[in-house]
Amino acid sequence: MFHKQLFIRIAAVAGVWASLMFAQTPAPAVAQAPAKLVVSGDVAKPITLGAEDLAAMPREKVSIPDQDGTQVEYEGVTLREILQRAGTPLGNQLRGKALTTYVLAKAHDGYQVVFALGEIDASFGNGKILVVDKRDGKALFGYQGPLRLVCPDDKAGARSVRMLETLEVVQLQK
Amino acid sequence: MNGLKLPAMAAALLVLALTTRWAVSAEPEKPADYQWNLPKGFPRPYVPADNPMSAAKVELGRYLFYDSRMSVNGKQSCANCHKQDLAFTDGRAVGVGATGELHSRSAMSLVNVAYSAALTWSNPEMKSLEKQALVPMFGDHPVELGLREGDAFLPLLRSDSRYAALFARAFPADTDRFTMANVTKAIASFERSIISARSPYDRYHYDREDDAVSESAKRGEILFFSQHISCFRCHSGFNFSDATASERNADREIEFHNTGLYNLSGGLSYPSPNVGIYEFTHAPADVGKFKAPTLRNIALTAPYMHDGSIQTLEGVLDHYAAGGRRIASGPMAGNGHDNPNKDHLIGGFPLSAQDRADLIDFLKCLTDDEVIRDPRFANPWL
Repeated sequence: MFHKQLFIRIAAVAGVWASLMFAQTPAPAVAQAPAKLVVSGDVAKPITLGAEDLAAMPREKVSIPDQDGTQVEYEGVTLREILQRAGTPLGNQLRGKALTTYVLAKAHDGYQVVFALGEIDASFGNGKILVVDKRDGKALFGYQGPLRLVCPDDKAGARSVRMLETLEVVQLQK
Repeated sequence: MNGLKLPAMAAALLVLALTTRWAVSAEPEKPADYQWNLPKGFPRPYVPADNPMSAAKVELGRYLFYDSRMSVNGKQSCANCHKQDLAFTDGRAVGVGATGELHSRSAMSLVNVAYSAALTWSNPEMKSLEKQALVPMFGDHPVELGLREGDAFLPLLRSDSRYAALFARAFPADTDRFTMANVTKAIASFERSIISARSPYDRYHYDREDDAVSESAKRGEILFFSQHISCFRCHSGFNFSDATASERNADREIEFHNTGLYNLSGGLSYPSPNVGIYEFTHAPADVGKFKAPTLRNIALTAPYMHDGSIQTLEGVLDHYAAGGRRIASGPMAGNGHDNPNKDHLIGGFPLSAQDRADLIDFLKCLTDDEVIRDPRFANPWL
């Protein structure tokens, strides 16, 4: 029994690591652009966040095992906090038709994944998803940055979008 | 380490090794305190429990690896097909054995072979370096080193004073140290020690040396990991291969890929005997499926693909950009793009001249000059 649980834990850790490492795709472009995150769509206040904006928001950290067994620390702002800044219905507003809302996360190279608001809200899935700009205290660079998602509760990594640029909020029923 | 052979032959050799005078000592070896000295980003390789790493075994394995007396005519050693300056490949399209017989496939690099979840180009069951070493030594389809049971090789080792000392240090607890099982253990230990971990790319990516690679290589890295090209989906992780395992992930099941290199009409779509894992599974959908090898040191290991049929990295990129290779005439004629077993990831993509140059620069920055010059991996007989 112990061995089975240990195996499951190791498999889960390996899955999250693989996801963060290989998740998705980045861009065909050239030089690294400055961090910029656009939050648009069915939100009360569309916003664009730069590096300084993200630095001034409440910061959180998450530690994930790397492939060599060492812990890697990602730092950034929760997706929930960013969506609340843009006036997305969360908390006691997330009911009825608002529960048909999802967030489309888009990367620089066109890669896209979806999160339902219910996954993120504290009263429902309470999923901890971070928009990160630092790894081990240093700015993300190359094919990972300048912004990416980290989804530590996902077993696979395909939603840990690298080179994140846009969060488009879509409410299906209005 | 040169390609695959008939599994029955390998199995027979293994049984032979375990049941004859080559038998492994019954006394378990004590765990050795081998220093991997792995840098950040590199996990500890998987090492079988019955062959723990030791510096003494690695050193013995190095002598054996470079000893041309370990062949039927004294003309060839492991190093003939696995040359250090070519990242332990041989620069040929296909390997050549001690008697001049040609192998059907290209000699694979031994760099980072400790991380290979499966060995050879297309044998899903060959996962042990110790077992694999028996194939080039004793295989006869084709003959590589051409050894035979009962020949003069083990007596030669026994009579050599240098080997007497090396075997004593490597296998101090064994009553009969000069066994073929110990020979393969030592060779496997040496092969596992050949780690490439600090190419310019590693210094850029792990050590944050921004000047370690060119701006072109940085653009190439982004292209490599981009959705529309997606090289990383098969050549993934720290070892740039989805056939990578490690101590914490030893039993990883790996995927084999048909990249649309051939599409012969009638019968099998790939030319025999290089039909991929179909040779072992006999499933028609497995025709043409081969392992995605590591891309570390790839600039040194031309020609490319399992049969060395593409000469340059530029040619490899063009093949993938086209989503398969078209051969207009001759016995290999056919459009690999339409191979029914082709991996869905091989769809083709637009590739500008600038993109092509950037990707090549990125691949070149995976060359580790240290591993090809490191005296620990060099010929000790010189």
